[in-house]
Amino acid sequence: MSSDAPVSTGHPETSAEAAQEARRAARGRRDAIGCVVPVLGFIAVALLVMALAPERPDGPRYAGAGDATPRDGGTFVFHHESNVRSLDPQVAYDELSTMAIRLLFDGLLDYDHDGGLVPSLAVAVPEPQEGGTVFRFRLRRGVRFHALPGLPDGRELTARDVKFTMERLLRKQTGSPGAGFYEAIEGAVAFREGDAAAISGVRVLDRYTVEFRLKEPDQSFLYVMAMPFAYPVAPETFARFGSEADRHPGGTGPFVLEGWERGVQLTFQRNESYWKERVGPDRMVFLENIQRHLAGLRFMNGQIDALHRQTLDHRGLFTESEAWAETRLSFPRASIWGVVMNYEMPPFDNVHVRRAVAYAIDREGWARSRGNLILPTGQPLPPAITGYDPELEHRQSFDLERAREEMALAGYADGYPEVIEYWGSDGDVSRIYAELLQQDLARIGIEIRIRLVSFAVFLEQTGKPKTAALLMSGWNIDYPDPSSFLEPLFHSKNHRPANSSNRAHYQNAELDELLDRARRETNRQRRAAMYREASDFLARDAAWAFTYLPLTLEVWQPYVMNYRPHPIWAQDYRDVWLDLPKRRIAASLFGRGSAVPAALFPLARLGGRR
Amino acid sequence: MSAYIARRLVSAFLVLAAVITLVFLLMTQIGDPAAATLGNQATPEAVQEFNERYGLDRDVDAQFLGYLGLMRCQRPNSPVYDDDEAKNGYCGLLQGDFGESFLHNDPVAEVILRRLPRTLLLGAFALLFELVIGLGFGVFAALRRNRWQDTSIMSTAYLGQSLPSYVTGPIFLSYAAFLFGLFPVGGYGSTPLEHVQHAVLPAFTLAILGASTYARVTRSEMLDALQSDYVRTAKAKGLAPRHVLGHALRNALLPVVTLAGLSLRLLVGGAIITEQIYGWPGMGKLAVESIVNVDAPTVMGVVFFVALAVQLGNLLADLAVAALDPRVRLAG
Repeated sequence: MSSDAPVSTGHPETSAEAAQEARRAARGRRDAIGCVVPVLGFIAVALLVMALAPERPDGPRYAGAGDATPRDGGTFVFHHESNVRSLDPQVAYDELSTMAIRLLFDGLLDYDHDGGLVPSLAVAVPEPQEGGTVFRFRLRRGVRFHALPGLPDGRELTARDVKFTMERLLRKQTGSPGAGFYEAIEGAVAFREGDAAAISGVRVLDRYTVEFRLKEPDQSFLYVMAMPFAYPVAPETFARFGSEADRHPGGTGPFVLEGWERGVQLTFQRNESYWKERVGPDRMVFLENIQRHLAGLRFMNGQIDALHRQTLDHRGLFTESEAWAETRLSFPRASIWGVVMNYEMPPFDNVHVRRAVAYAIDREGWARSRGNLILPTGQPLPPAITGYDPELEHRQSFDLERAREEMALAGYADGYPEVIEYWGSDGDVSRIYAELLQQDLARIGIEIRIRLVSFAVFLEQTGKPKTAALLMSGWNIDYPDPSSFLEPLFHSKNHRPANSSNRAHYQNAELDELLDRARRETNRQRRAAMYREASDFLARDAAWAFTYLPLTLEVWQPYVMNYRPHPIWAQDYRDVWLDLPKRRIAASLFGRGSAVPAALFPLARLGGRR
Repeated sequence: MSAYIARRLVSAFLVLAAVITLVFLLMTQIGDPAAATLGNQATPEAVQEFNERYGLDRDVDAQFLGYLGLMRCQRPNSPVYDDDEAKNGYCGLLQGDFGESFLHNDPVAEVILRRLPRTLLLGAFALLFELVIGLGFGVFAALRRNRWQDTSIMSTAYLGQSLPSYVTGPIFLSYAAFLFGLFPVGGYGSTPLEHVQHAVLPAFTLAILGASTYARVTRSEMLDALQSDYVRTAKAKGLAPRHVLGHALRNALLPVVTLAGLSLRLLVGGAIITEQIYGWPGMGKLAVESIVNVDAPTVMGVVFFVALAVQLGNLLADLAVAALDPRVRLAG
């Protein structure tokens, strides 16, 4: 055996490759470990977080002190997801601005929770005189405007201020979108057009009495006088601040504006010299532009005191939770939604086709598929409005057999031969309803093609005659009187060459006459009967296929007292008081029985409010 | 050097001009400001008054010239402009005037200046987190090259780069702030201390992306530097390891400085999504509100500030690199 026989170690190159191979493998393992370690780490952290995290609370974190005696004090915080536009009561015409304006101003009259009229700055709701054309408002004595620069001690409100307010409201330069509501006042139009120096129908009789004279009897007038457009303002603030007057609101309301960073928040202070005895928070904070998810979390955390407009997830939680049952309410706001069929365009110029559509809509099915965010209806007026009748004789409902019969009566037993264009405004919700309608109408042989356009285009096109045959539309209340719905939507005077609010372009002399008579009628019972008759007429003639009322869910904290959602005013917090000090009641991470000692989390207390 | 700066300023000016023109044209297309501001129920008179007041009844080219300050402004009823005689009837960008916000009824510059400090606070925190986390982990990963620490950090950074703030934001808000109560649940607070406390979580959300990017860049730059000749020489001469590291770090940081210059956008422009999620009332939220409400002057103002910040950030970063690296000469 030769010792010098070469020992096979393989080819030198091969050995280098093998080493490289080994290094590569090692590196591959490292890479694999490097990827696996963080993934495992994340899973571990996630599991730890889930194990430690308290369950999402299904009830309030705080409760009140349990003292039933109303009292002053505290700060009340509420929110909205958009911007407050204006604090000028004559100009603002959106829900948010009204929320703020109603803290700062009072009306002569106000609406109670049943939509009835109650006196506010007026001593009483005026009785109609001279056949319903004259209303005399007597003002309360000792009502003072907020103390403002130019109004140092807060001057007393007088009849002259009411007159000034009406003139400001009707003057063209003010640009009030509500001016049209007040044209029933004698001389209002002449004043508006600049043909008269004063409104002849508004007269100051003495320091505390102002008289309104109308062109003709109009019983909706008192409701209109309770709209924020007519809330009395102090002339001095406009003289002093000009176009900036809207940030120095000179009202008589229960709160005084403390500060406003536009787009962020408004703060209010209690009006110490308010004319009426009342209890309530010392301050109010109105947060603007808070997204729904954040608002929901802050509410559950006790940092927001009343919540509206939730994400679907939060809405489900609040609706199902027993713990919130006492302080939540799901209710229909005073508005109506329906399928609008153009009275002047085929096939909807045929009453049988309109009725077929009204019968074909499976309203309960819509409500189910929308997770009960809507309340089905089959008549033009919402509940809480005079003329609404749950037992209305011809109220519309889902009945496929009758829908098919009506189609046959119209001569379309085998379906309507053409495709009908359906107009909707762009958006997910709008698309859902369009598709629901598409399915329902397909069952009676009406085929529709959905056309979704921007809201501006939608308003413009559907407001023109003979343009849009079929659409979905809604109407929100302006003032809680049936005329606020039935006239803009169905009276032929609101069928115009452009910007019709009567988007069905519905014209019926019989209905017009009935609505005009009802407007003039001074007897409440007779008036209600007339509106019920008009309502039944519209349901029977299928002027629209009345479909649903949107349901609003409001939730408030257990320590927020005396709050009841109002059918007309959105989020009206004028009368709340806080049952303080509030107590933490939810089993929390840092409370008793908690697995985690509070000392571990020094920042934990920051979540608490104020 | 000064010639270089001058040239950069000229190019910055051109970029700004292009941005302004483009955004102005876009803003005329997205909706009707009068309808958005006054609402759908506005009277024709109110709409007309609004359009006259802001000069929106003019042609687009006239509006644009007016915005730039090359044409007299025609805003007869606007008190903001009437009593300012010094401007002699001109009220545009060239006069340093950003116009008046439709929505806020205030000069745009005031609106922006109110929001800017908050965004600066948030941005400063975010930048701090980015640099501390990014540089720290980047250097550490380079020193543990190819070990499990390195690969772990780098894959985490990769994850961080791919997680958008609209995912991490709500998670942090729901868990860290709401369920665990470690941080305030959104908002801004009312005292300086509270502002800082409220800023932590949104700043961290914002910083995830930047920190991940910095970590990856720092690591690779650091590796290059550590393999370079001067480091080998320094090691050979027996220099202490921490001094060697210092030498390497200074060179490795140059690209990071450039990146940080780009981050100035964050400081000024805010973070649109993060500010929305946390309800932080800064520039990003202002931008969203203004766009939604077709508040063109405010949108223009915000875009102008942000574009300016980007340009300045780039310039400052280049100057800083030149100062740090003697090899870089800024040619005119």
